[in-house]
Amino acid sequence: MINVQNASKTFSLSKQQKKELQTTASSINAVNSISFECQPGRVYSLLGPNGAGKTTTLRMIATILQLTSGEIHVCEKSVKTQPNDVRAKIGFLTGSTNLYDRLSPSEIVEYFAKLHGMDKSTYTQRMDMLFTKMGIHEFSKKRIGQMSTGMKQKVSIARSMIHDPEVVIFDEPTSGLDVITANNIIDLIRQCKEEGKTVIFSSHIMSEVDLLCDDLAIISKGDLVYQNTMDNFRSEFADISLTEAFIRTVENSSNYQNA
Amino acid sequence: MNTILTVFKKEMVDTLRDKRTLLTAIVMPALLMPILMYGMSKLTSSIMEKEENKKLKVALLDAPADFALELDTAKFELIHGISIEDGRDQITSDSLDAMIGFHKQYAENIGDMKSGKVNMWYKSTNLLVKDRLTEVVDTYEEKLLDNRISALSLTRDAIDPINLIRYDIAPKNEQIGKMVGGFLPYIFIIFCFMGCMYPALDLITGEKERGTIETLLTVPASKFSILMGKVLTIALVGLSAALMTILGLVVAIKFLPDLPADILEAMTNIVGIKFVLMLFAMLIPMAIFFGGLISAMVVRAKSFKEAQSIVTPVSFLVIVPAVIALLPGIELNWSTVFVPILNVALATKEIVAGTIQPIHYLMVVLSLIILALVAVGVSYQQFSKESMVL
Repeated sequence: MINVQNASKTFSLSKQQKKELQTTASSINAVNSISFECQPGRVYSLLGPNGAGKTTTLRMIATILQLTSGEIHVCEKSVKTQPNDVRAKIGFLTGSTNLYDRLSPSEIVEYFAKLHGMDKSTYTQRMDMLFTKMGIHEFSKKRIGQMSTGMKQKVSIARSMIHDPEVVIFDEPTSGLDVITANNIIDLIRQCKEEGKTVIFSSHIMSEVDLLCDDLAIISKGDLVYQNTMDNFRSEFADISLTEAFIRTVENSSNYQNA
Repeated sequence: MNTILTVFKKEMVDTLRDKRTLLTAIVMPALLMPILMYGMSKLTSSIMEKEENKKLKVALLDAPADFALELDTAKFELIHGISIEDGRDQITSDSLDAMIGFHKQYAENIGDMKSGKVNMWYKSTNLLVKDRLTEVVDTYEEKLLDNRISALSLTRDAIDPINLIRYDIAPKNEQIGKMVGGFLPYIFIIFCFMGCMYPALDLITGEKERGTIETLLTVPASKFSILMGKVLTIALVGLSAALMTILGLVVAIKFLPDLPADILEAMTNIVGIKFVLMLFAMLIPMAIFFGGLISAMVVRAKSFKEAQSIVTPVSFLVIVPAVIALLPGIELNWSTVFVPILNVALATKEIVAGTIQPIHYLMVVLSLIILALVAVGVSYQQFSKESMVL
């Protein structure tokens, strides 16, 4: 379970950043006091336009970024006071297949298993299960640098799931991927849900959201402007498409924020 | 500790598969000294042999007949009847090697037991011409001197009252140590720094550039352990580069042709277990210092290119103290013992020469350990800032 309570994140701006953003402010609020809850066995989707604060929120949950104020609990562990306990519970996956080019899938997954403190027999068994399931065995000794994006994405998944996390965080997981590779991710999200894991993912692809999520929240300019179950969202905007519903929600919130 | 070891092992495998790092940290340092020393020695001896056997074209002006006889026609081609101006022009244009001109009053002065003036024109850029002709003139002068000693009924001892005999009692180790000891640290300090530089760029900035740092920060391990695993890898590669330089030097000396036996023996004595242990005790903290220092600098860089532009100027700063150590009169004392890098260079010089004072050596090692700890501390401080890492 993920419990986000009044979480805020403020970034200090360097001279270069001030110039780029054409502002004189010394800091910028990326996320403003947002609160929501993600339940086990359900998929929670964070929607929002680019720069809305989705990645910042996910990074705060994953303990990559520290909260400026507020609190986040993951499986009842505080990201502020028990970051290592939180990290042990989560799996983090992004759309960009960032791996070590000179290592093989076996070496990478083993490395992350060890960093998660797993013993050899446990991780060997789990690795074998994941590799069989995703068809990694046939290229498990090949170097990452010689692999296709699809193969890399499979290795990324195995790396993120090796410690069998209770909570899985996906940051725009299908962004930039081809249809087949993206489909692997969608399958993985479904499977995590079936296994009773808590899943949170950010996206701006409404078809994916429609297909997968049980609950959703829309973030705009750092504010949480909408949150509900997917069923309620569909009923609320029954006369228009989901994409139009999303755009309308964001625009209404912008008008409200600017007023 | 387990995390440090896990990160260290992974980074070592990753680094050892990087051809660029291998080339800079292992291959280049190992081959540089043998290639430089063997190549230079071979080249120099080949050039010298060629110059010594070359038949020199020498013009003689007003030379006495007995002088011309001193010039072996197999080694010198003699030209007569040339003017000074023509001779100078021909030397300048390399159609003549040298010209020896005897003064008009030369014969008269020699007859009167006076000094006779002899001029020699040559180009100093032509190797050995001056030396070979000076040797001929000196031999001729010795004969004239013998004639005068005989004419005056004197003995050689009469005109050479002091017979100075010099005894150099400095041990061979010390003589060679002062010579090689200054040069050796200059090379291994630079290679140690370069050896640290490439893995640091790859393991710190590369991790940011590839985007792998984000996932790494979601594992239940402290940032300190992750950083230490990386810094230790960087330091080990730097240390290997320094050791490869020394190994290369030892190999070069062992197989260097025409090296006198006493020098070879002295060099073998220098590179003993004591030397290796003393050097190791300095190199380990120095490599960690470099590792920590470079990591702290490159952690802020967003790309490999940016990191290179940050570190490259610092490599020049590292060279400066190593060069200062080569200057005569700069020695390891209480003023230099705490100056980073300079102290390592000077201490190495003294270790090789066998003249190091234990208290100075201890201070050098201690100051390096403190520096290494400070560098790692600063590096951790930088690595802990989320604005630096992401």
